[in-house]
Amino acid sequence: MSGPPDLTALRSLTGKRFWRALDELVDQPDFRVRMSAAFPALASGPGDWRRRDILKCLGGALALAGLDGCERAPDQDAMPFVEQPEGAEPGVARFYATAVEMDGVAQPVIGKTREGRPVKLEGNGDHPASRGATDAFTQAALLDLYDPARSTAPLHRGQPTSWARFETALAALRGELDGRQGEGFRLLTARVGSPTLRRQIETMLDRWPQACWHVHAPVSDAGAGERLRLDRAHAIISFDADLLGPGPRQLWHATGWGARRRAFQAGEGDATLFVAEPSPTITGVTATGRLVAAAARMGTLMKALAVELGVRAGTPLRLGSTERNWVKRAAAALKRNAGRGLVVAGSEQPPALHALARAIDQRLGNLEVTRTVAAPAARQQALDMAALAGDIRAGDVQSVFLLEVNPCYSAPSLAPLLARVPMRIHAGLHADESAAAAHWHLPMPHLLESWSDGRAADGSAVLMQPLVRPWLQVRSRHALLEALMGGDRADRDIVRETWADALDEEGWTRALVSGIIAGGEPAAASPPGAEPPPVQELPSEGLSLLIRPDPTIWDGRFASNPWLQELPKPLTKITWGNAIHLSPALARERELASGDLVRLSVGSRSVTGPVWIVPGQERRTLLVHLGHGRSRGGPVAQKVGFDSYPLVNARGEVRLEKIEGREEVATTQHHFAMEGDEFIRFVDTLADALPPEPPRANFFSAQKSSPAWGMAIDLDLCIGCNACVVACVAENNIPMVGREQVAKGREMHWLRVDRYYEGSPDEPSQAFQPVPCMHCEDAPCEMGCPVNAAVHSPEGLNLQVYNRCIGTRTCSAYCPYKVRRFNWFDLTAKDPPELRAVRNPEVSVRGRGVMEKCTYCIQRISAARITAKKEDRAIREGEVMTACQAACPTQAIMFGDISDATSGVSRRKASGRDYDLLPETNTRPRTTYQARIRGGEGKS
Amino acid sequence: MELEAPVRIHRVATYRKQRGRAAQIFPPAADTWLRLGVAALALGLLILALGGWDYARSSYQSQTGWVQDQPVPFSHKHHVADDGIDCRYCHASVETSENAGLPPTHTCMTCHSQLWTGAGVLEPVRESLASDKPIRWRRVAQLPDYVQFNHSIHIDRGVACVECHGRVDQMPLTWRAKPFQMQFCLECHRDPAPHLRPPDLVTRMEPLGWSEKQKRAYGEQVMRVHRIDPKTLDNCGICHR
Repeated sequence: MSGPPDLTALRSLTGKRFWRALDELVDQPDFRVRMSAAFPALASGPGDWRRRDILKCLGGALALAGLDGCERAPDQDAMPFVEQPEGAEPGVARFYATAVEMDGVAQPVIGKTREGRPVKLEGNGDHPASRGATDAFTQAALLDLYDPARSTAPLHRGQPTSWARFETALAALRGELDGRQGEGFRLLTARVGSPTLRRQIETMLDRWPQACWHVHAPVSDAGAGERLRLDRAHAIISFDADLLGPGPRQLWHATGWGARRRAFQAGEGDATLFVAEPSPTITGVTATGRLVAAAARMGTLMKALAVELGVRAGTPLRLGSTERNWVKRAAAALKRNAGRGLVVAGSEQPPALHALARAIDQRLGNLEVTRTVAAPAARQQALDMAALAGDIRAGDVQSVFLLEVNPCYSAPSLAPLLARVPMRIHAGLHADESAAAAHWHLPMPHLLESWSDGRAADGSAVLMQPLVRPWLQVRSRHALLEALMGGDRADRDIVRETWADALDEEGWTRALVSGIIAGGEPAAASPPGAEPPPVQELPSEGLSLLIRPDPTIWDGRFASNPWLQELPKPLTKITWGNAIHLSPALARERELASGDLVRLSVGSRSVTGPVWIVPGQERRTLLVHLGHGRSRGGPVAQKVGFDSYPLVNARGEVRLEKIEGREEVATTQHHFAMEGDEFIRFVDTLADALPPEPPRANFFSAQKSSPAWGMAIDLDLCIGCNACVVACVAENNIPMVGREQVAKGREMHWLRVDRYYEGSPDEPSQAFQPVPCMHCEDAPCEMGCPVNAAVHSPEGLNLQVYNRCIGTRTCSAYCPYKVRRFNWFDLTAKDPPELRAVRNPEVSVRGRGVMEKCTYCIQRISAARITAKKEDRAIREGEVMTACQAACPTQAIMFGDISDATSGVSRRKASGRDYDLLPETNTRPRTTYQARIRGGEGKS
Repeated sequence: MELEAPVRIHRVATYRKQRGRAAQIFPPAADTWLRLGVAALALGLLILALGGWDYARSSYQSQTGWVQDQPVPFSHKHHVADDGIDCRYCHASVETSENAGLPPTHTCMTCHSQLWTGAGVLEPVRESLASDKPIRWRRVAQLPDYVQFNHSIHIDRGVACVECHGRVDQMPLTWRAKPFQMQFCLECHRDPAPHLRPPDLVTRMEPLGWSEKQKRAYGEQVMRVHRIDPKTLDNCGICHR
């Protein structure tokens, strides 16, 4: 975009109903140009190439390509086991139940290993907190395990050293602490969810009563003490709470919402969601009623809701007409669903608001149904960071142990204080900012290679077992605390001891096999019913700034994970970096365009970065994401975006000043744009159906086979969480291309999630649409390919034969859905051995100059076909699940045999909400969509 | 001063005329040379094409019949023909996995801890057991990485070992019996009938003594029972993913 968007032009819509970006809405000529080139990359090619040179190179390439065919597969060696362990058959995948952790919440998974290497994580279908689904972070955890930038050996003052030397130093420390009852020792951890770790910390505090335990959590989490049952909530009112958004409880909430919404679709009750929020979130996009309101306005709105419901006495408050309307509708939905409603305030809202939300729930009888209070975790409660800072200032801290935290990055105010502590030990996956500031750095194993335990979002305990033996010199968090206390038991024994009473040997084995600890959930305490304190209205003049965790790299812990860095953020579609989000109205007022550099200051602190105009953002609200601008932690993490942590806890006026220059933000929102309109379709209520499509003449007869594979994507269930995208990357060996190439439109994701706006830029309605290959029965790509590399399988799959492909990209030009991806470079040849190990051996790794695309996970179809053939039966319903379908927490994606009228996918396609994308192209796509339902009220 | 080209040619021609010579650019033999050159080029291209074709089909390219240097000169002939050991004793996962599997050192030592305990050729095997390091075999039968081949389903359907691996029982040292090129795979995938036999006879090396007609009759019966449709078997996605 060049120059600020013209809002007058924006408001007089250009006839097009759906738009992805503001410049598309005003239909600027340069966007037309980008649109007409299927790949924006072509338009901005290097200009110094002359036609002659290109032809010379083409000729040379052609000659060399001929020679390429003569290459013989290189000789390989085979090394069988000396003694083959039981069950370790080469070529057969093995599955283990384990979990990964995020902010102290365990995400139960089943890890798939091939030849001893973990290659894919799936949700644990038997676990209530997963039901087989995963979130994007969990899918990407696999790559963290193989991160080549992980710390490999202990460091002492930055120099590699041995564990033996650290043990000597630790023994000296232990002796000192024993003598002083632990005085001056501080343990700083992240949120602790592991019962074993908690037990170890308690043991330590018993032995050294003068020592203190502090918890550092850069992202606030008001939901930690509560358990929300969205599957039971027929009416949800959210005040700036991103329930379905990224975070440790996303999976739990999203599976609950999906279950509720599917029940609503089946005619059972309501599924309404009212969201008031200052900046768009995926919860807001999913909402049946979204209100744009400043964060400071939430108190007023909730009070108005309480008054409307009769929970608070009082006169009606000063509200705008939109606000009043929203509050009335929300109150009506809550009244209609008394006893099964839910009112939630966001993590960053003041405690008084949380108390009021609980009071409303209590009055309506929702408590214990949709919201239960978790039992207090244990007898020892951790202290916070402010207490640690105070103690250091007072000179009371002699030694500090930073376990799995990086405060020197995520708490910049503490960093200079830490330097005063005479003995600093840091343990973590990476030699990060805090490792550099510590005397000792100790490398830790990833959770996928260690024994541990944790608590899932539903409160139940899960065991974590290693999928692979650590290949680096690492020690787990349990081993480190054990060593601190002078013990040397193995990790497994330490974890086993925690469960010695709860699980006998048989129960332990069963828990390891299933990943579930039966009866491991502590009894929920009854929620407090005290009168909430009065809600204070916050001052709301001037600009207000929201500082939120990044939707893909969270608080910075995933910054060295390219799968997450290159994952387009759900709303802005920005990859590899962050920006200062502002509303279209503010951009107009300040004459800013997306990409203009600004200085954002709060009081005396400031950051510099590009702005990004976000339709649907509150007028005076600015938003920045945390987690970027890392100075250490690996080549992927560094030099990406700007660091917003200095603004956390800053006080003072929020100012925005334009400075010279622009920065290109690598966003995918323009990429792979389709011609046409009516991408997203809506029906108003559950009873409505889409108008029937006029029949279109087609020369070809419809393809018939059994099985005939097809996919149905229910846009009413899709929340745009991106879990499918990362699952697809992990399953199909999709290479990451980096910031520069993303900016040129060369990202390789086979599955993209489009985000569309409709209506005015200030308060647009928004919708997500996952777009994989449509597997058209009459596929234009197949007609276009000059070498027959795009072929059709008898079962209806549109295949791409990599070895035939010569890279003309004709198929991509012909594809109306723009789902084909071209390997512009050899993206995988230079992969280090770790990154080769993460690849799925069942899927070819593509070379340069080859087109690729979604295959409907053909490797999974093949595996199911072989199993079925061996048992002489047809493939069963649900036996083939594509990676995206398996990961989806709301079951928006369904895959199966469309020749079987009773299959789930056939039933979805038979619904009145089913439609083809771009029906005018008459391609007979096998992937179809189900329209979104605007309302959430069921039959009364 | 540089002159325009036509003017220059005109001047040269005029000069030559003045000297009394004909203005010939090409000598009389030029036409012959041209024809010879074109013929040589055509012939060269033909030779190149034929040579390339021949090379692609050659046993060198497909490694058919070539013996690899192995750490132990293992004789299938001795173990299969003389001792009568079934293929699956060593290649144990052939019925359950996509890989047939190579025997772990322990499998070798089940016999060789008793037999030929001091033989020099078995030194690498004993060394492997003692040092707990795998024996490094050179692979004889290998497919490119973009081919997904599954042994278990072929065995299950009754495709005999000998169909692809040849008469292993007659190989003192192991070589690749068949060219593992797409053509070879497709021959069977397009017409599997004559290549099928009862699953309990898949490891048998000697011919069953069936006539071509018997083979086809049996194969067609199996295909009917298991609903094998050759039209779906030569689809790219069956092997390439």
